[in-house]
Amino acid sequence: MNLTRAKKICFIFSLSFLILISDSVQKTSFAADIGNCLLCHKYPGLSRVDEEGRMRLFFINESIYNNGVHAKVKCEGCHTDITEIPHKAAKKVDCLVECHIIEPTTETKFSHKDVATFIKTSVHGKVDKIGNDKKFSEDYPSCKDCHDEPLYRPLSFFKKVRPGISEASLGRCRVCHKKDDFIYQFYNHVTTRLHKSRNPLNIAEMCGRCHDDSSLVTRHGLSTKAVFSYGETFHGKAATFLDERVPDCLDCHVNKGESVHQMLSHKDPLSSIHETNKGKVCATIDCHPSASPKLANYGVHSEFNLTQSPAQYFFTFFFIVLTGGTLLPLMGIIFLDLVRRFFPHATIGRRK
Amino acid sequence: MKNFFFKIYMLVFMALVVFFMVIIWKVTFAHILHEYHERHKTQEITKFKEQREQKPDKTKFEKVILESEERVKNYLGYRILEEVRIKGHFHHIGFDIGPDNRSYCIKCHGDMPHDAVKELRAFLNMHAFFVGCETCHVKLGDSNKTGVFKWYDRTTGEIVASPVKRGSPGSFKAKIIPFEKSGGAIQRVDSEERINFSLEYKQNEKTLSEGQKSRAKKLIHQIVSKQPYICEDCHQKERPLLPLENIGYPRERIDSITSTEVVGMIKNYTKFYMPKMLLPGDEAKKQ
Repeated sequence: MNLTRAKKICFIFSLSFLILISDSVQKTSFAADIGNCLLCHKYPGLSRVDEEGRMRLFFINESIYNNGVHAKVKCEGCHTDITEIPHKAAKKVDCLVECHIIEPTTETKFSHKDVATFIKTSVHGKVDKIGNDKKFSEDYPSCKDCHDEPLYRPLSFFKKVRPGISEASLGRCRVCHKKDDFIYQFYNHVTTRLHKSRNPLNIAEMCGRCHDDSSLVTRHGLSTKAVFSYGETFHGKAATFLDERVPDCLDCHVNKGESVHQMLSHKDPLSSIHETNKGKVCATIDCHPSASPKLANYGVHSEFNLTQSPAQYFFTFFFIVLTGGTLLPLMGIIFLDLVRRFFPHATIGRRK
Repeated sequence: MKNFFFKIYMLVFMALVVFFMVIIWKVTFAHILHEYHERHKTQEITKFKEQREQKPDKTKFEKVILESEERVKNYLGYRILEEVRIKGHFHHIGFDIGPDNRSYCIKCHGDMPHDAVKELRAFLNMHAFFVGCETCHVKLGDSNKTGVFKWYDRTTGEIVASPVKRGSPGSFKAKIIPFEKSGGAIQRVDSEERINFSLEYKQNEKTLSEGQKSRAKKLIHQIVSKQPYICEDCHQKERPLLPLENIGYPRERIDSITSTEVVGMIKNYTKFYMPKMLLPGDEAKKQ
C-alpha cells in the first residue's frame, strides 16, 4: 500500500468517524466544548494501554462533566498543548495553569497556584523547610491523588427534604436572572460551597488510600492507620452511614477558615491538632461548644492493637472475651437443646 | 402433620442459632484473631523496611495490574455515582459496560488490543468496543461468505436485537459479529467449537511443548486474515462491508458514516494532522 493511498484511507476513516459521531453531539450541546473535543471523546471505548502499562481512558462523560466545577472551563484551558485535531499524545495537565476563567474579585485569570504554595509548606509537601526532598518524597500526594473531577453537591433549601437542586429556589433566581445556564451554574457553585464539597465518607476513603496503606504507614513511621482507626470511632461509624454532619479528617486536621491544603504536622505549634490546640478542635461552636478541652485527650486514633494502644487493647480485649465467652456458650447450649428436641430418643452408644 | 411443622420449626430455630453464633464469633474472637494477624503483618513490614528501601516497592504486576482499578461510590446527595476508579484518572467515568464474556480473542489479547499504530490505536480500540474482532480480522472466502452480521450481547453472548437506536453511539452493550456458511447452514464465526478449542488451549498451555503451542496457535488463528479490513471498507457509500441498515442503523446515521461529501472538506482542512497510520508497524517505527 503506498503512502498516497494510505493518506486517502486515513482521511476517509477519520472523516467518517467524525461524521458518525457528530449527530448526537448536536443534540447535547456542550457549553465549554468550543473545540468540539467530544466529537471523539464522548466514546467510552476511546482508550489504550500506554507504554508504562497503564490504562488510558480518553472518554469524557458529558453529563457528569457538566455537573462538575470545571464545566465552564474549555478543554484547551487545561490541555493547553492541544492545538490541532486529530492531536498527538497530550501532555500531562499542569493544574497550576492559568485558565480562561476570570476570578471576579481580582479580575485576574484563574489558577490553582495558591494551592501549590499552601501544599509546599504543609505536612504533605514533598520538600522540607530547607528545600530538600523529604524521605520517600514519591509517597507524597500530587493533585490527582486526592482530587478527581470535583462534582457539584448542591443543597436544597426548599423544605430541606433532600439535597440537590431546588426548583423552588431556581424559580426565585429567575425573577431577576434571565439565563438558565448562569442560574444553574451559580446555584450549584454557591450551594455546593455552603457545605462539604465531598461526603465525609468519601473524604475518609480518599485519605485512606495512603493513610491506611500498611507499607506507607510503616515507611513514614506513622502511629496509626488513620482512617481505619477513625472508622472505629462514633464519628467514623456515623460517616459509614453517610451522615453529613460528622467531622471527617479535614474538620480536625485543618485550622478553621484555612485552606485544606494548609494541613500541618501535629508537631507544628500552628497545627489544629498540636497538643496545645487540639482541645479547641472538639469545642468549636459547630461540634461540642461546651466541651472541656480534655475531651480531646482521648485517643482519637487508637487502634485495637497491643503495640499502639496497650491500655485500650486490654480493656477492649476484656469486654470482647466477656461478650463472646458468655454468648457463645449460651448459644451452644440452646443449639444442643434444640438437637435434643429434634431427636428426642437419640443416644450415643447403648443405654444400660 | 403437627410433628412435621415442629421439626421444620426446630430446623429454622437451629439455623438461626448457628447464624447468631457465627456473628458473635466474628465480632468477638475473630476480631481478636484479626488484630493478632494484622499486628504480625505490621511487624513483618517493619522487619523488612530496610530491604524495601532498596528494592522496588512492589512487583510491577501488583502495582500496575492489581492496584490499578478499584470501585468507588461518590455520594453527591441527590445521587450516588458508582464507578471504576482508575488511578491517576481525573475525569469521572460513570459508565459500566461489563466484560465481553463471549469473545475468545480478548481472553489473550485483552479489551484494548490495538497498540501498533500510534495515531490510530485509541480509535481502533474505540471500535473494538462495539465491533467484534472477527468483523475486521476475519475475511471470509466466497464459499463461506454470507454478508450477514448481527449483534451479540457482551454479557450473555446471545444474539440480540440491534441496540443502535436505544443507546448513545459507541456505548452499546453489544458487539457486531459476522456469520459464515458451514455445512449448508449459517453460523456465527465465533462458533462454540472455536471458542472451546481456544479455551482448552489456554487451560492446557502450561503443559504443552513449544511445538504443540505453535500448532495450537496456528489453528486458533487460522481464520484470521493477515490484512484486516480497513476503515474505508465500512466507511464508504457504494459497498460498505457492514450492511448498516440490516444491523439497525437509521438512515441518517448511515448517511453520516458513509458520506463522501465531507471528504473534500477535510482535504481542505489545512491543519489536519496526517499520521503515518497505515504503514505496517515496523516501517512506521523507522520513520
